[in-house]
Amino acid sequence: MSPHWRTAARIDAHNHVHDAQAAGFRDATGRLDREHAHQVLARAQALDIDAVCVSHPLTGDCPDPDQVRRANDVVFAAMDLSDRFLGFCYLNPGYARESVAEIDRCVVQGGMAGIKLYHQYRVCDPALAPVMAHAAELGVPVLVHAGKLRNTRGRSAQPRISDAGHFVRAARQWPDTILIQGHIGGGGDWEWNLRALEASTDCPNLYIDTSGSVVDTGIVDRTVAALGPERVLFATDGGFETGVGKVLDAHLSPAERARVFAGNLQRIFSRRRIP
Amino acid sequence: MNQDARLFDVNAALGHWPFRRVPDTTAEALRARLAARGIRRAAVVNTQGLFYKNCHDANLELADWIAPHRDFFVGVATLNPGYAAWDRDLDACAGALGLRALRLAPPYHDYALADPCAREIAAAASALGLPMFLPHRIVDVRQRHWLDIEQALQRDDALRFLEAVPEARVIVTGAGWRLPLDERGRPRYPNLYLECSRARLTGLHAGLIGQLLFGTGAPFKEVSPALLNLQTTGLDRAAQQAIGWSNAARLFGLDKET
Repeated sequence: MSPHWRTAARIDAHNHVHDAQAAGFRDATGRLDREHAHQVLARAQALDIDAVCVSHPLTGDCPDPDQVRRANDVVFAAMDLSDRFLGFCYLNPGYARESVAEIDRCVVQGGMAGIKLYHQYRVCDPALAPVMAHAAELGVPVLVHAGKLRNTRGRSAQPRISDAGHFVRAARQWPDTILIQGHIGGGGDWEWNLRALEASTDCPNLYIDTSGSVVDTGIVDRTVAALGPERVLFATDGGFETGVGKVLDAHLSPAERARVFAGNLQRIFSRRRIP
Repeated sequence: MNQDARLFDVNAALGHWPFRRVPDTTAEALRARLAARGIRRAAVVNTQGLFYKNCHDANLELADWIAPHRDFFVGVATLNPGYAAWDRDLDACAGALGLRALRLAPPYHDYALADPCAREIAAAASALGLPMFLPHRIVDVRQRHWLDIEQALQRDDALRFLEAVPEARVIVTGAGWRLPLDERGRPRYPNLYLECSRARLTGLHAGLIGQLLFGTGAPFKEVSPALLNLQTTGLDRAAQQAIGWSNAARLFGLDKET
């Protein structure tokens, strides 16, 4: 795993790289869109982001293991391009045995920093148990797509998206697994999610990232109030200016802001148990 | 970025929003919020104009609220062309109330941009020299309140509207759109302006700079994201000044002011 995270002042906990030939996140050929990757690095540098956690999740209903491997090969290519990219290994946990093998390929042997799950299963689904157990053994975080969608189109497109209630349940089911609820600003009704998370004081293994295009006034303040500054992670999900700007506008002490920008993720990464 | 550069926020609002607690909704508080970030002028609407049936009452409120702040705020009327007396209200807004632009909000007022009434009010506003605002959305529809609208303004609907009223100067707020160019690289809709807080400014075509306007979405939204979008995406100083100030000053007729 690239050492950049140890000294970084800002680590983007949630971002993506793209495939050179497969448009969007519906499939992958395994080849990195290098132009986009260079743009990500340039935007990160312009905003003093030292390291960027990237994945290539697939948005289809049930990606097969070959597709998943190709998606993760895109991430490996990004890691080869720059050691400022910290890879997250995408999985479809419906393929349990293959998922555990892919964790070994990507995280144990390949040096990826964590695991990324999309909306194929709710985060508290028992099908995720093998993945969650292996992540706990290795001490690596599991970042999960999330949201509480209020629009009809969004709900029908993502019927198994996880909201904060599902995350609290998952954090209690798997207390030794580090869970990151994705993009408080990218998944619909963030106030609902934060009200649900207020009840997670018994879940120190549950974190949330600040990414997403929504920059409603007070969103980061309210997130920190709901979870405490030690469980909130700065992220952009590709929106660099929105990602940095809303953390800068939050009413945090310098120490709290430093924790959100990097310290909390550094603490997570320091729990890694892979030589 | 020249820190002394003037900034004109074309996307700000006063008044109560019923679906979420929004801070700094009074003129004094919003002015302080924006001025603290270096913003020198702001175009403001009255959010309550989305919800009043007789929405001209919101224009009367707005004019009262900003009266002590005319050196900072530019008032933007909200009118419903499907409601009685909109034409007299428009004259009052442009005249006695001193409002300098008009906002249309079709989904909140139960009509469509393709309806004849929309073209009528656009023509009337243009005759009075008022630019017209079309909000893409007030909040992200993914987080909508169950009583709020579900559909954001569609780009194709806005472009068709522009084609129907070519004399209108239209400002779309809160949209992450790319403005279309013609085959010679010129703006295809020269009277279309985009408030660019959600627009990608990296790799921007030079021909579009004159149609982009800085806006924050305050107090609904944090201010720094829009500032960073203007200041850190590689635009040169002239482009930042055009987008940050002079395009808006020209639109609102303030370019002669010191």
